[in-house]
Order: sequence, then C-alpha cells, then structure tokens
Amino acid sequence: MSKIAEAILMDGSKLPYVITDNPPRGGMKYTYFAPDKSYVIQFFNDPEIGMIPEIQDRISAIIGKYNPTLSEENGGARGNSQTLADYFSQRYCWPVAMVKYPEFGIVCPAYPSNYFFDSNSSIVEGLDLSGKDKKSNWFTSRNRKYLNKSELGNFMMMLKLSICLARAIRRMHSAGLAHSDLSNNNVLIDPKSGSCVVIDIDSLVVPGLYPPEVAGTRGYIAPEVLETMEYPRSDPRRCLPCIETDLHSMAVLIYEYLLLRHPLNGPKHIPNITPEEEDFLLMGPKAVFIEDPNDQSNRPQNLNITVHDLGPHLEQLFMQAFVDGLHSPKRRPQAMDWERGLIKTWDMLYPCENPNCREKWFVLHDIEHPVCPFCGKRVNSEIVKIKFKKELRGKSGQWMPSGELIAYNNYPLFSWHIYSNVFADEKADRDLCAYVVKHQGNWLLVNQKIKGMRSPSGNLVPPGQAVLLKNGTVFRLSDESNGQLAEIQIKG
Amino acid sequence: MIGMDEFVRRLPVYLLLDCSGSMMGERIEAVKQGIRSLITELKGDPQALETAYISVITFSSTAKQEAGLTELMLFKEPELKASGATMFGRALDVLMDCINTEVRKSTETQKGDWRPLVFVLTDGAPSDVNDFKRAAEQLKTMKIANIIACAAGADADTTYLKMMTENVLMMNSLSAGDLAQFFAWVSGSIKMTSKSLDTKPGEALELPPPPQGFQIVP
Repeated sequence: MSKIAEAILMDGSKLPYVITDNPPRGGMKYTYFAPDKSYVIQFFNDPEIGMIPEIQDRISAIIGKYNPTLSEENGGARGNSQTLADYFSQRYCWPVAMVKYPEFGIVCPAYPSNYFFDSNSSIVEGLDLSGKDKKSNWFTSRNRKYLNKSELGNFMMMLKLSICLARAIRRMHSAGLAHSDLSNNNVLIDPKSGSCVVIDIDSLVVPGLYPPEVAGTRGYIAPEVLETMEYPRSDPRRCLPCIETDLHSMAVLIYEYLLLRHPLNGPKHIPNITPEEEDFLLMGPKAVFIEDPNDQSNRPQNLNITVHDLGPHLEQLFMQAFVDGLHSPKRRPQAMDWERGLIKTWDMLYPCENPNCREKWFVLHDIEHPVCPFCGKRVNSEIVKIKFKKELRGKSGQWMPSGELIAYNNYPLFSWHIYSNVFADEKADRDLCAYVVKHQGNWLLVNQKIKGMRSPSGNLVPPGQAVLLKNGTVFRLSDESNGQLAEIQIKG
Repeated sequence: MIGMDEFVRRLPVYLLLDCSGSMMGERIEAVKQGIRSLITELKGDPQALETAYISVITFSSTAKQEAGLTELMLFKEPELKASGATMFGRALDVLMDCINTEVRKSTETQKGDWRPLVFVLTDGAPSDVNDFKRAAEQLKTMKIANIIACAAGADADTTYLKMMTENVLMMNSLSAGDLAQFFAWVSGSIKMTSKSLDTKPGEALELPPPPQGFQIVP
C-alpha cells in the first residue's frame, strides 16, 4: 500500500513523495521516492537526530557553500562554474534541499538510470535484480557470477570508474570535506559505462562543524578508527572519520575494482577468540595487506595477479596505502596522487589480442614481456611507446621525463600529452589534438590541431600533416611554451 | 579470478516459527508470504546474498528443522502447516543442536562464521514450560546467538521470551499486514548486521527501529 504525501521545504515550497510500507533503510536514514522517481526524500531513523541544530547547520553548509554540484552563481561552492557543476552533478548524489515538515529530512536527486539493474541484469532464475542499486560489491564479490556479462564491463571500464572516484574524492578533499563513510554501499558503479556516483553525502565531515555519527562500513573503516573506538569521542586519542580515513576507504575500493578482491581479507587467522573479535583485529590493529612484501601471513596461496601487474604507478600507490600507510594515516597517498597515478596507468592500457580475454585490456608496463596477466596471451604486434619529456623551467634545452604512453592504432592524444602544464582533470580540454595511426605499414602521428608541432628535423608540421614514427625518433609536439618533447620506441 | 570463497564468513540466520493450532488459516499463509518476501528482499542486497544463510525451525506438537542452513540462492521454501500444541522448549533444543552442527566454529586452522541471528515468532506460551525454562536459560548463558523474539497478538506471553533474550518485541495483532511488516523488519535487521558490524565486538546488537505498532519490551 502506498500513498502520496507532501513535504514542505525550508523555503516553504512543497514536494510530493510516495509513502511505502517498507522503505529502503540504511544505518541512519530511510528513503521515499518522488512520484516520478526524479528525486528522493530521506528521513532519519531516529527523528531526534534530525532535530539537532548542529546537524541541520552541517547539512545546510553541504547544500550551500560547499556544494560542488551548484555553480557559485546559484549558491554553490566558491569559484564553481556551471560546467564544473554539471560535471560533478554526475559524480555525486548531492543533497539539494532540507525538509521541515512532516519532520526534518533531506531531498536528493535520484541517481541516473544506469546505476539501477534491469530485468536482464541477472542470469539466474529466482534472482530478479530490476530496480536494485548497482552497489560496488555486486561486481567485486562472488555475486559477479549471477550477473549478465554485459553488466561486468572490463578492466578498462574499471580503471575509468576508478579515475571518476579519485576525482570526485579529490574535489571533496580539496574543499576540506571528508565523506566519512565511503564503502561498497555508498559508491554505486556502472562498469558497463565505466562510471560511478558517490551517494550518502549528508554525513560529510565539514571543517569546523559538528561531526557526523557514523564510523563507517565494515571492510572500509580505517584501522585506526577501529582501534580507538574504545575511547570516548572527545578523547584526543580517538580517531574519527576524516580525510585520512577516506583515503583508506577509497584505496580499498579502487583495489577491489581493479583486482576484484579485498586487500585485507586473506587467510590470516587468530584462533581462540570469537569471529567478531577476530574480524575487529584483522581489519583494525592487526590488519595486514594480502600482498605485503614483508609480511606473508595474510597472503593467499593462489595470488596470480598482483599489484605489480597494474604497472609501476599503481603498484607504488597501493604499497604506500596498504604497507606504509595502513597503520600510519599520514603516509597514505592523497586523492590527487591516485587521480594522477590512475591516469598515467590509463596511458599504458593495451588491448589484449585474445578475443576471448575476459578483461579485454591490460596494463602494458613491461614491453620486454608484453603478456596479458588476465589470460596469459602475449602481444604479437609491434608496440609503440611514446616517452614524454618536459623542459626544465628556466633551463632552456634541458629536458626531463614527464610520462609515457603505449599507443596502438587510432590512439588519441590530448592537450595533457602535448603540454606539460595541463593535467587531465575535469577542467582539461578534451578535444582531440593528434592521433597515432598505422598507415601502409608505417606508424604516423597525425596532427589534428596542435600549433607548433615540429618534425625530427625541425620543420613545422601543420594540422592535417603527420610525423613518421620510427624507433628512436625525437620531436617537439609543440614549440609553444610548455610544449613537450616526444621520444619514440618501437618494439616487436 | 581468484578463489577467495574460503575467507567469506557466513551469517547464519535461524527463523524459529510458531506453527501451533492458533496460527492456522490466514496467519500461517501470511507467515509463508513473509518468508518469501524476506528471501526476495535479501537476495537484492549483495552483502546479504553473499553472507546470509537461512534455516527455518518450526514448533507445534513437535519441533523440527524444516530447512537446513542454506545459502539464499538455494533456499527452498518449506511446507508450513499449523496445528497442535506449542513445544517451544523442544524448538530451543533443536536450535541449539543446529547451531552446534551447522555453524562453523573458529578453530586453530579455520575461520568461524559470524554469531548466528535468531528470529523467534510466537503467538502463545510454551506447552512444555519446564523444558522451555531449562533451554532458555542455557541459550542465554551460552551466548551462542543474537536472539530477537517477537510476541504476536494478545495471547503471546513476553515473560517467557525475556527468559531467553533481552531483545523482545511485541506486535499487537497477527494481521497479514503486521506479519508482512515483521518480516520486512527481519530483512532490514539482517542487512544491517551483514553491513555494519562496525561497533566493537561484544557491544549490543544494532537493529533498525521496529515498525509502527510494534513495541520493544523493556
């Protein structure tokens, strides 16, 4: 049985919603939908919590001056343009208004339809997933086997949505906000399109305001938070959710997306205590990364694919997050580091030549041993590597390495490949600048719109013309300021 | 890709259902419908689908396990019939046996399952009072499970339920609507437990607030 009710917002406007018998319920709130499902209204399980003025103040700040999904003009975050607001609207399900009647509540936009399963999503009888949220662990746990292959995406899509997540969290953290409960439940993913959306934004930690009540979700809570739970909230030894704990939760999620397993869930076992106590120790004070090179106690026997197969950037980040930083929050990589490392790894993606490869793409980090870690197929084609160099500031003619990529036929180059001062974030120009193509047996770099591209001998290469790529070729991608140098390596 | 199945702890869930004569007719049908919705609801939650294992134990003139501890995807709905007395004490003995044999314990070499969740639904009082008192005492002191007991309707006696657990709920009627709400709440509790085992071990069980019309018995 359902009936339509009307909520009154703080500004006096009215919004209809549908009261259902058993609304979806989380740890803090329950949810009713709009008649047309375009937004949701959430109320607190414990209405008293919604009455606390400090909580209302926090939510009001989140909806207003900290809101990256609204332009500054429209009352959102300072310096936020409409374009950026539109971009981040897709990354978060950010609250838009507060309800004052029938009780305190929050209005959030509904997430886009690609984050809901449909009737074709499940391949087993007796499991109808239509309308269910695409929580991360549908894809990263054994539940994968129940899903239609078309839902699972591939390694490239998982890397793409990891970049989306790192970018969304970097944006939050750069404003001083911490999500405080990043988890499989609060990040919905669509591996089909390689996108993600962060939800449950109302429990953000906002600088200087009353902290939220949540500790997090099992498996994603930072070890120090578990370890210090015994102290009262006001005790200085107590570690509460903050930006550093987000950095643990986010690293766990990215590890799960790329390797389909939990980084701390291994064979390590502590006998003679209850499973609840054991789990507390293994996720808290005694947590060990399953791939810890110095401590094999939690390492599964059949670890065929490891962080090493993800290339040097991600290997280093995961070691920093789960070896150096697991019990030392300050040593965890920042969201910005993850965003950069993931993007550098994106440039090393290579299509697996095995048409039946489950993942279709892998990180080609070692051109001497170009083997897909997922299916074991060795690359037979010629491999083109472009090494970028940037000019040292104030030292004309002195160049230092600034990145590299593995190209293949029809490989696109963007402004961040051409200029050393462009970063591939949400602000970067995404127009095609140039592309690598194999034409009549030769590798060419075709200029699409770069000013000042120079051939190896120094001649201008205008848009529409190309540079022939040979092993050892060196040329300026652009001779304008910050234009990079490209050095070609061809193997095979 | 990688066989991590061995590291997944199961969350055993036992439903202890009163199928005595007073449950006959519309009530037992509502219970069956409730189990069906519960399973469907849990299957839609990835965490529950991966970890929750369900078993049904009924009690009337006898007590028996209708369905052994089974993962959700393989769970078959038991044939429930209502008749006879309320051998509640026997049911607690069956429960303790089942937990003993079915729930994996932590050993030197093996990780154990989560502490079982037991949901009890009764509309009366035990016919086997002495057996009940002994078994309830045993359950309470051994602390082998988190038990949530629900007394349904005017004839249910909560004093007995209090002997086996601190978590006692009361619902005033046994209408189909109330029973549906009870099972929805059970599903919410299972999802919550399988999700946020984030309080320190040994702390009180976190449960969602009971539905309207249900009271927590202090």
